Amino acid sequence: MDLLSSLALGFSVALDPINILYCFIGVLLGTLVGVLPGIGPTATIAMLLPITFTLGPETSLIMLAGIYYGAQYGGSTTAILINLPGESSSAVTAIDGYQMARKGRAGAALATAALGSFFAGTVATLLLAFFAPPLARAALNFGAPEYFSLIVLGLLVSIALAHGSILKALAMIVLGLLLGMVGQDIYTGTPRFTFGVRELFGGLNFVAVAVGVFGVAEILRNLENEKEREVGVSKVSGLWLTKDDIRRIIGPVLRGTALGSVLGVLPGGGHILSSFASYSAEKRLSKTPEEFGHGAIEGVAGPESANNAAAQTSFIPLMTLGIPAHPVMALMIGAFILQGITPGPNVINQEPALFWGIIASMWIGNLLLVILNLPLIGLWVKMLSIPYRVLFPAIVLFACIGTFSINQNIYDIYAIAFFGIVGYLLIRFGCEPAPLLLGFVLGPLLEEHLRRAMIISRGDPMIFIERPISATLLGLALLAVIVAVLPSIRKKRNEVFVEDD
Amino acid sequence: MALNASRNDLASGALFVALGGYFALEAMKYDFGTPFRMGPGFMPVVLGGVLVALGVAVAATGIGKPDAEAPPAWPWRGIALVLGTILFFATTIRGLGFVPVVLISGFATALSSRRNSLLAALVVSVGLCVLCLLIFVVGLGLQLPWFGPWLRF
Amino acid sequence: MKTIVKILAAGLVTGSALSAVTVMAQDYPNQPVTIVVPFAAGGPTDTVTRLVAAAMSEDLGQQVVVQNVGGAGGTLGAGQVAAAANDGYTLLLHHIGMSTAPALYASLPYDPMTDFAPIGLVTEVPMTIVARKDFEPATLEDLIAHVKENGEDITYANAGIGAASQLCGLLFMDALDTKMTEVPYQGTGPAMTDLLGGQIDMMCDQTTNTTSQILAGEIKAYAVTTSSRIAVLPDVPTMAEGGVENFELGIWHGLYAPAGTDQAIIDRLAASLQKALTSETVGTSFAELGTYPVQASEATPAALAQKLEGQIGLWAEVIAAAGVSAQ
Repeated sequence: MDLLSSLALGFSVALDPINILYCFIGVLLGTLVGVLPGIGPTATIAMLLPITFTLGPETSLIMLAGIYYGAQYGGSTTAILINLPGESSSAVTAIDGYQMARKGRAGAALATAALGSFFAGTVATLLLAFFAPPLARAALNFGAPEYFSLIVLGLLVSIALAHGSILKALAMIVLGLLLGMVGQDIYTGTPRFTFGVRELFGGLNFVAVAVGVFGVAEILRNLENEKEREVGVSKVSGLWLTKDDIRRIIGPVLRGTALGSVLGVLPGGGHILSSFASYSAEKRLSKTPEEFGHGAIEGVAGPESANNAAAQTSFIPLMTLGIPAHPVMALMIGAFILQGITPGPNVINQEPALFWGIIASMWIGNLLLVILNLPLIGLWVKMLSIPYRVLFPAIVLFACIGTFSINQNIYDIYAIAFFGIVGYLLIRFGCEPAPLLLGFVLGPLLEEHLRRAMIISRGDPMIFIERPISATLLGLALLAVIVAVLPSIRKKRNEVFVEDD
Repeated sequence: MALNASRNDLASGALFVALGGYFALEAMKYDFGTPFRMGPGFMPVVLGGVLVALGVAVAATGIGKPDAEAPPAWPWRGIALVLGTILFFATTIRGLGFVPVVLISGFATALSSRRNSLLAALVVSVGLCVLCLLIFVVGLGLQLPWFGPWLRF
Repeated sequence: MKTIVKILAAGLVTGSALSAVTVMAQDYPNQPVTIVVPFAAGGPTDTVTRLVAAAMSEDLGQQVVVQNVGGAGGTLGAGQVAAAANDGYTLLLHHIGMSTAPALYASLPYDPMTDFAPIGLVTEVPMTIVARKDFEPATLEDLIAHVKENGEDITYANAGIGAASQLCGLLFMDALDTKMTEVPYQGTGPAMTDLLGGQIDMMCDQTTNTTSQILAGEIKAYAVTTSSRIAVLPDVPTMAEGGVENFELGIWHGLYAPAGTDQAIIDRLAASLQKALTSETVGTSFAELGTYPVQASEATPAALAQKLEGQIGLWAEVIAAAGVSAQ
């Protein structure tokens, strides 16, 4: 079957009024639940999954795709409005998005996120339709050594996440890597840093760490100077993007889409890097890097596009090979199986209506998301006018209940308190939380791939240089370090000391 | 201030050294392994050591460069009440059940802001309790009793 | 905010009301029953549970809610059910891990034999021994010879300590009296990715995950671990056909209540389980997974108790012999 008739088949499935309705309900519910603090896309989908069980296969999976996009956008909304990322990618959005919100530009930030995501979603959907099988094949060339090198590159490039001291950013990344190692070692079963608590065997919960270092720490910061000022948002100026904004976001959206599309195809952790990589790229390319971290619209546009493109292309390994790239995809596999479809290389041939229907509905889901969310921006921004003294108890409670509801694990709540105070201290002393979160999500991957690569090569570290893809990635990493270090060395000669990069 | 160094850099450096030290020392107890089969202790020992070194470097850069701004006041009340509430929530949620825990937690957190009066805190906590019940228990079907086993006689 | 809540609540209530059905005359159950799955949502055990739960709730006339309590190789969820009220409203659906935990974990907060009241077996998922598609051996006999000859040069993927894929590998190496290089993964999903990409040589995994890849020719299947060939993979021989006797291994799933649950409730649940397993939806969905529901005679407390006891003994030996521990 050629591509056009395949796509036509897909749209005939996706445009069925019932399917559109459920796609819309999915997007709506996904947005509303994903917006709750402490509940990211994975948790949202896990919670809403059972609703789809009673529906037919196409309808159910189309609704699920809607829930996924809705949840992702809902998560970004929380990150922008109250600095509470529900998953690693929105941790990046929170950096500049939240600063924009505090400057009264929440509307512009949310609109940028919605439009950037839509554009990226459209491009990535086309990629999925045209190139899914060859892309998935290419991704299989990535083994443990390649992933290790990719993660090293990602970590080194991401030092740009910080707008303060490079040393502190590095230290935060390393601290994050270490925190990611808490829990049972998969190679030997040894519990590490668990204080004998079985609940910690599975490691620290990302949401608990994020809620702690971003949310709780931010609340404590705001309680510092209560006497002098009411914390909150300066006057909301315009819900929509200005001409200047639009000019500024075009480049980041395009680059973010490209980066995200490529990284999303890699099942071993590529999608995690997409938003971090895009942020770093934008900061490097920007003529005004000093704006980053203080509400640069590029810092929202790039990562949000990259993230959505990656979210879309991460369906490629799932749909063509039946392998899940991340927890959300694992949930999707569960949903496929419950519908009597075993995801694998045969879905595209045996269930063409389903395969192309889902691809088409992804695009429709993205479209519905924009249609639904642009009007909702006004509502979200209004939420910011709730006085902070009312808002922050709500954030604390929602975060506790939300985190608890994911695994029913009270140690996740203790972790919120612990990371709240540690995060507060570190931020107070001039360190930023985003690199820590990046380290935290990449730590286990870094170790896993390093150790696996060494087992496969029988202890020979040359494997990283002998394999061409890995060697290229490491070369790029070295280049990134040189580029990062050179200007600061030059600067040091000229000035007595320089704190800022 | 007599100290001719950045308090922030010294303090964060010290924190990094302490945390890195903990991870490295604790990881010494685990099997270090060989390059072929790295043990569970390999990465934490290496990274813990790196973190200690970075902590020292951070502290060193602060010497001779006192902070430009005076540090903000410590929000003791907020720290105690917000963190206390979270710990309270964790220890009692299974025993007391949803309604009492959310009421008390909401009340206590609201009080951590000096701008909330007792009455305002009460209103906030009741409102939040109703809202959370509707969203999480009714809407999302969270499996938690309204009133827990400790309150049943 | 209020409108959001309303929309949210309305949407979810409509969603969940679809599965609410008739009311039973009997006293039990008069409220929703929760089945705890000690693994993350979306995994094979979760899938099996959700299929069975849907069918059981039709019979019981109450919603049967699936709750995922993952962590520590399934021991967290099991521990939670062991400590739950024995009123028949909190149940556990666990797989083979129920019988391996005592050997793997030195300090288990519960005893699988005495802290649970078995209700019945649910299914036994066969496993397959598979390899990357360009792996040299052509047949099971060739494979056995090849593994004996090359031993540690062969990389063998598993899903970590105590996972069924590791146990299967241990049995295999034990039967051939050789050692391969074990490469642990975070679950069999990523392991399958590397097998498809030819990054590693071999793996042993349940049919749930391997069938579609085998049928598509993406990986090579050498053997099934059941006593006779299975319907979805008629061309794949059993281990016995290759000359390896007593190599039978399946990921069996059982349904449990906390110890001390009223016998009448156990009987009611066992009857409901048996009924659920004969339902057409469960049958066809299980077949898609490459498995089948157990016979009614096995979906009984006695059969599950017997299975559990036998397996605890077997794995204690195999695991001790291999020197594996999850602490």
